[in-house]
Amino acid sequence: MQNSQIKHAIVTGGAKGLGLEIATSLVDSGFRVAIIDIDDEALHAAKHQHPDLETFKADLTCEQQVAKTIQQIISRFGNIHILVNNAGLIHSEPLINVLNPTQRRHSLTHWTKVISTNLDSTFITTAHVAEHMAIKRIKGVIVNISSVCAAGNAGQSAYSAAKAGINALTTAWAKELGPLGIRCAAIAPGFFETSATHSALTPTMLDYWKKQTALKKLGAPEQIADTVKFIIANEYISGKVFEIDGGLTL
Amino acid sequence: MLESIISPILRITPDQISDELSMKDIESWDSLTHMDLIAELESHFTIELTMDEITEMVSVKAIRKILAAKGVQLG
Repeated sequence: MQNSQIKHAIVTGGAKGLGLEIATSLVDSGFRVAIIDIDDEALHAAKHQHPDLETFKADLTCEQQVAKTIQQIISRFGNIHILVNNAGLIHSEPLINVLNPTQRRHSLTHWTKVISTNLDSTFITTAHVAEHMAIKRIKGVIVNISSVCAAGNAGQSAYSAAKAGINALTTAWAKELGPLGIRCAAIAPGFFETSATHSALTPTMLDYWKKQTALKKLGAPEQIADTVKFIIANEYISGKVFEIDGGLTL
Repeated sequence: MLESIISPILRITPDQISDELSMKDIESWDSLTHMDLIAELESHFTIELTMDEITEMVSVKAIRKILAAKGVQLG
């Protein structure tokens, strides 16, 4: 890319795992990328390993922090063309745990935290970035990272509901922002080789899900990064959720 | 010409459209319909409107004025 054509991107939750993979892949393709993350240590490590990344610490569930951070990025970059809403939290907890009489019901605190981290953060960040795109008449792209569990995973009430919400927002925003030339699409990964997957699922569960997948293996994070770039490049994509899952949901 | 663009989007007949017609006069002219109207005007006249212009275009009179300022001839 020529300097005048350099596109500016934000990747939330970009300091590690899938977010870092997406961020570095965009850098490799010529984008200037800002990552926002709440994890200070991971941000430092990401910056150390990838000096081209611009790093920002923020709690994306706090609108004041988001507003301040987006303004800082606009001041540094000038314009924002791409937003990848990747920040989130995988959480597994049954609605009713028959084996735990002292805490039988799904914790409301956990529910609120998972909804807030996955859904509120996406809503707040997108509202601020889309406002910037609209005011500057930037025909930008918003890519939401959803999950195949949006269809409803047993034992993941909050995470499933949050990701279903992400899918609904993707459609709503594609319709609402489309007249301004702003596109919005989502990627719903199946099971991928990330630290978050290994933290959230036991080896037995992972093995089960591998067997349920047509390709009988976990996905590689770069396959999600490639899909992000595909969505950015294809100017006629909007409103769709791309399931990248190795044939899990067939 | 402007009437034929505006009327299907606002779901009103062309004869209901006058320069005095503004957003506050018809329920169907809300912020979402307004964006559809802007997209149609931009596409039809091959122009790009700024956010300030979009915000100002809240009446037929204002639309005509801004389009004229952008060199659009409405005939």
